[in-house]
Amino acid sequence: MALAWRILSYDKGRTALAVAGVFMAILLVFVQLGFFIAVPQGGMLLYDKMNFDLLIASTGYEYQAQPGQFAKSALDRARAVPQVAEAAALYFGQAKWQSGEDGKAPDVFVIGFDPHSHIFAVDDINRQAGVLERPDTLLVDTATRQMFGPLTTGRIVTIDRRIMAIGGDYVLGTGFMGLGVILVSEPNFVRLFPYRSLDQVNLGAVLLKSGADPAEAAGALRQALGSDIQVFTRPQLERQETAYWTTRTSVGLLFGSGLLVAFVVGIMVVYQVLATQVSRQLPQFATLKAVGYRDRFFGGTVVVMSLLIVLAGFVPALLAAAGVYSVIREETLLPVTMTGMRIGAVFVATLLMAGFSALLSMGGLRRADPADIF
Amino acid sequence: MSLADQRRRHLQHFAGFVPLAWRNLVANKPRLIRSTGGIGFAVLLMLMQLGFESAFFNASLELIRLFDGDLFLQSAAKYRFATREPFPAADLDMARRAAGVASAWPLYADWHDVFWKNPFDGKSSMVRVLGIDPAHPVLHLPQLDVAPAKLNALDSVAIDRRARRFLGMSRDPKEAELNGRKVHVVGSFALGPDFENDGTVLVGEQTFAQLLPNPAGGPPEVELGVLKLRPDSDLAGVQRALAASLPAKIAVLTKAQLLELERKFQADVSSAGPIFAMGTLVGFIVGMLISYQIIFTDLSEQMPQYATMKAMGYRTRYLVRVVLEQAGLSAVLGWVPACLVAIVLFHIVGNIALLPLHMTVKIAALSFVLTLGMCLISAVLAVRRVIAADPAEVF
Repeated sequence: MALAWRILSYDKGRTALAVAGVFMAILLVFVQLGFFIAVPQGGMLLYDKMNFDLLIASTGYEYQAQPGQFAKSALDRARAVPQVAEAAALYFGQAKWQSGEDGKAPDVFVIGFDPHSHIFAVDDINRQAGVLERPDTLLVDTATRQMFGPLTTGRIVTIDRRIMAIGGDYVLGTGFMGLGVILVSEPNFVRLFPYRSLDQVNLGAVLLKSGADPAEAAGALRQALGSDIQVFTRPQLERQETAYWTTRTSVGLLFGSGLLVAFVVGIMVVYQVLATQVSRQLPQFATLKAVGYRDRFFGGTVVVMSLLIVLAGFVPALLAAAGVYSVIREETLLPVTMTGMRIGAVFVATLLMAGFSALLSMGGLRRADPADIF
Repeated sequence: MSLADQRRRHLQHFAGFVPLAWRNLVANKPRLIRSTGGIGFAVLLMLMQLGFESAFFNASLELIRLFDGDLFLQSAAKYRFATREPFPAADLDMARRAAGVASAWPLYADWHDVFWKNPFDGKSSMVRVLGIDPAHPVLHLPQLDVAPAKLNALDSVAIDRRARRFLGMSRDPKEAELNGRKVHVVGSFALGPDFENDGTVLVGEQTFAQLLPNPAGGPPEVELGVLKLRPDSDLAGVQRALAASLPAKIAVLTKAQLLELERKFQADVSSAGPIFAMGTLVGFIVGMLISYQIIFTDLSEQMPQYATMKAMGYRTRYLVRVVLEQAGLSAVLGWVPACLVAIVLFHIVGNIALLPLHMTVKIAALSFVLTLGMCLISAVLAVRRVIAADPAEVF
């Protein structure tokens, strides 16, 4: 331990360089992991901002923006289940926002709901329930892209050839719903989509009475609703969404392989540093060998050296990653957060990195022959 | 000419241009392997990021590249290719009669309204549908194994055997369902999915009209008009004339403009560009650190030799050149295997992820320049040691 510390502090510039390399590698692992986990969670963005314990969907549910539909009567049957306090309908539609910049008509994701149902846990939305009740009035998500033109309150826009007014905005995020998202009341939803009927809903948000167990209530609901409807608890929903984005799309593979490469690069950097240190101190190591120190001792020293370097790189990388995460969070509104799990996972990866590199660089040490050097 | 000058000339001639740098590099084999590995991995990281970035953009451009035409008509409201914004077939007929136009045929398309039922597991998923006039196909789908004329029969379709596997299109089904309609699979092609479309179905005009009837009645509306010009006509002139004679809500674009519109859309709305650029930058910095480490160590070990050469009369300039040459050589040594590994990885990942991941000249050249840059920058940073080498101190 003491020897490892001495070797590292002997040449401070070199050690600083090594730590910088390890810092970059760990930061890279953090960022790739952040994307790997957070990008699939783009699909959870809307759900995270909604009040519900269970979600009712058609068996055709693929992911949030492709939920399928089912008969509204299922919600009445759900309300009859003893544990259920409330069941609210949610309607999704896709329309053309014909008032975009340069005469373009970007697609807008339309969510229809009863403004007084308090489905959303977003103050801006609940506060503006009255605004939503006005005919042909909408609320627009502030994350809606620039190509939609100004999102100022009072602006008159054409959506699917219908003239509507922007009644206000709210902060939620567009996630994977598309380039722009608007909220409308149920009557305005059918005005916008005349071929849609309020009898066919896309999702049902169920609130349970306090004290009811979600898993148990989900079972009761499944019994009551029949086989063409599925009931998700929150954890099940998260699994469904994450699985969709990681396995059905290239997202998982893209960031998964990025993660792997970052890990290997980390090993290479630490190994490089260790091997250099070992080869520079070879005469000294050989001397120690000649004096009678065992290989085990050197192994321990190299392991401690690699741990010290890696730990010194880990702490600043963690801080920097937290900074990068907050930038990504602000830019994309994706839930890229530094959780204990994530820190733990990267820490374990870091230790593995140190271990592998120590193992790799031990080879040179074992060969150190006192007779060769002098 | 002094004696020292003469000797220097002689020695420089003897040492040649590269050999000293080369000998320095190969003097210590384990170190050579280590440094090549270190630089190689940094290069591989950059290559992967560059490859992913180009795959991301290419995936959405791939289909547009397949259109066989000189000029294209589409709704001016279309902000990207993969969104439905059709225009009346009458406008295409008008373009067909314009001076300089040899042919004008339609592409019908839809991205969000047609569900394919996997015949193997009964699951429905959204697919992209392309409709053509079977007598006048407007695009060359790769490895299409059926004559387009076969699509004339109602409910005959060709499917994408490179579609995502969960659709079951790669398992050679004979029958399937599109929006509840029974369809016969008469052939297939190898296109592949992109970031929004999992699979593609090619149908004839009639089938398209049945799947997605024109709400106004009559023939389906056209998503893209594909025009070919007469050999002697002037592209820009015909484009101007068409734009002037067609309604303002129709845009007349060249293929380059069509591609540019899509590329710009992808760059504007997706964060893929910055994400991959950041990855490349990290690879560059890591590579720089590694190669600095290598060159620095190397220089420290050979300081006596450098000092000796200095004492013999070699100029600092020459020694600096040797160091830079050595850095350049390690860049090449790291880049070549990384490039080869990347080609293999692109092939494997591309096939698993069904992405157009290819080693292009552009990626290879860009990564080489970056590799050379990172090695030379670190050499410049490390070479100060040589400049400071004092023969008197070494001995």
